[in-house]
Amino acid sequence: MPELKITTKIIDHDITLIRLVGFLDAHTFEELDVVINDLFEKNIHKIVADLSALEYISSAGAGVFIGALAAAQENSGNIILAAANENIHEVFDLLGLTQIFTMTDSVETAAKAFECNA
Amino acid sequence: MKIAHHAHKDIVIPNSTRHLVTVRQAVFDVIQESGFPEHEMLRIALAIDEALSNIMEHAFETENLKAELTINLSLDADEEKFEALILDSGKEFDPGEIESPDILTHVASGQKTGLGIFLMRQVMNEVKYTFVSGFRNELRMIKYAHDFKTKGATNAGTQDHYQNH
Repeated sequence: MPELKITTKIIDHDITLIRLVGFLDAHTFEELDVVINDLFEKNIHKIVADLSALEYISSAGAGVFIGALAAAQENSGNIILAAANENIHEVFDLLGLTQIFTMTDSVETAAKAFECNA
Repeated sequence: MKIAHHAHKDIVIPNSTRHLVTVRQAVFDVIQESGFPEHEMLRIALAIDEALSNIMEHAFETENLKAELTINLSLDADEEKFEALILDSGKEFDPGEIESPDILTHVASGQKTGLGIFLMRQVMNEVKYTFVSGFRNELRMIKYAHDFKTKGATNAGTQDHYQNH
């Protein structure tokens, strides 16, 4: 079983969902970096990250979201983190990132957050 | 009834991040065997993951030797205390010299790295670094089951000790 599985799906005309399954650490973070940069190159800057099946994240993984946040926001987008379990949420909390990222309980709520700010 | 006792594990880790998942599982095993509070398990595994990731990223400069080098990790735990000792023969690196970042500034600048040591300090009660000149780095990290037993440490902060020999 791969340590990290990433799938992407368009959930609205300009919102893309990235679903992460497994472990996002110093070994796997570059895979997510590639996917996000690929979306940016396609001028997609509204991203919902579905973290419901993410089992683990370290600072290397969180760093990908940090690195991408400013670029997304500068292009009228955002990166919204959805459905993180308690453990994942705690890592963002330890890093002080819950005050910076929009974190929602579900993908649906995240998508609505984009619609409200459109 | 769960019988708690001292648990110990020594691991030699090849210098590759693909082994981090194995190390985290070893931390889980030691904590579960020892009786140390399991709600700390993930946080401690995270702190050790961060320390090892940092060593793998920075300690060994010679690219063609990187894969051959190893890191020694020793885990000890009982109901009261979890201790990890990490030994590597890479270049001297003192995490005490790294200041904790201002997270707002860090994010605004779009920096992807530099938060691992901050996380180590957030989680562990003590982080002790020793450099044995020409030989090795020793990083000892301690977490107490009850933080009030940490002498001189504040609730929010880690007590750092750094020595050079």
